[in-house]
Amino acid sequence: MTDDQIRKEQEVIERSKKDPKAFGELYELYFDRIFNFLYRQTDDEELAGDLCSQTFINVLNNLKRYEFRGFPFSAWLYKIASNEVNKHYRKNKGKKIFSIEELKVKELVEQANDGWDEEMVSRVISYMNELPTEMVQVLELRFFEDKDFKEIAFILDITESGAKMRTYRALDKLRTQFNIKIKYDG
Amino acid sequence: MGKHEIRMRRQRLTARGTERFRNYDAVLKQHEQEQKMKKIVRVFVFFLLIIVVVILITFAQRWEKRQGDKKLKSEKTEIKS
Repeated sequence: MTDDQIRKEQEVIERSKKDPKAFGELYELYFDRIFNFLYRQTDDEELAGDLCSQTFINVLNNLKRYEFRGFPFSAWLYKIASNEVNKHYRKNKGKKIFSIEELKVKELVEQANDGWDEEMVSRVISYMNELPTEMVQVLELRFFEDKDFKEIAFILDITESGAKMRTYRALDKLRTQFNIKIKYDG
Repeated sequence: MGKHEIRMRRQRLTARGTERFRNYDAVLKQHEQEQKMKKIVRVFVFFLLIIVVVILITFAQRWEKRQGDKKLKSEKTEIKS
């Protein structure tokens, strides 16, 4: 995001603090991203829709308290959305779901020798099922939402080094266990 | 198995797919209702606090009066004796 874009966004936020109708512009801008983020963590369109609405209602309810702290506004939205998902799973005591697009995994993983096949997909899935949930959360934000470590740390309320450590550990395991190249060098 | 489940899907939801969930008017309406409710609760708590303070002052005044009466009584009995 350029400085100019950030400045314009801040102007809309300041306007929205006085008149919530002005926030509609940012709602339209971020709706798809937040919805997809929630859908990825629920695999349920209706539920993602409900959580998305609740996220934006919470955003509006707390907008007056928002201050720019060097992160893009979207990081704050992701943080609220992430809290909403966690609240949902805590309340329902269900297993957290990560619904990942196959295409994104293929983009991330570059085959070293064999071709990409169904067996490899199921092996990667079972590997990711064994990872701690916190690790998968970081991977999801890093690779599927393209967030940098600073933003991930802010969204998940962890330290930046903690976010990095979780990512590198998961990737190292993936590299060694599957003998594959990861299109990622930090 | 961990505390989560990974599912693989073929494609990302398109903007058309999310369209039926996009409704800023509904979000705004809900926000306004919640703000109204917040205001009502705030006013209620404010009046409740005032009532509590008035009750406490009344009790304090009564207690003070009772203490004064007791003092007066004991002074009278002291003079009598």
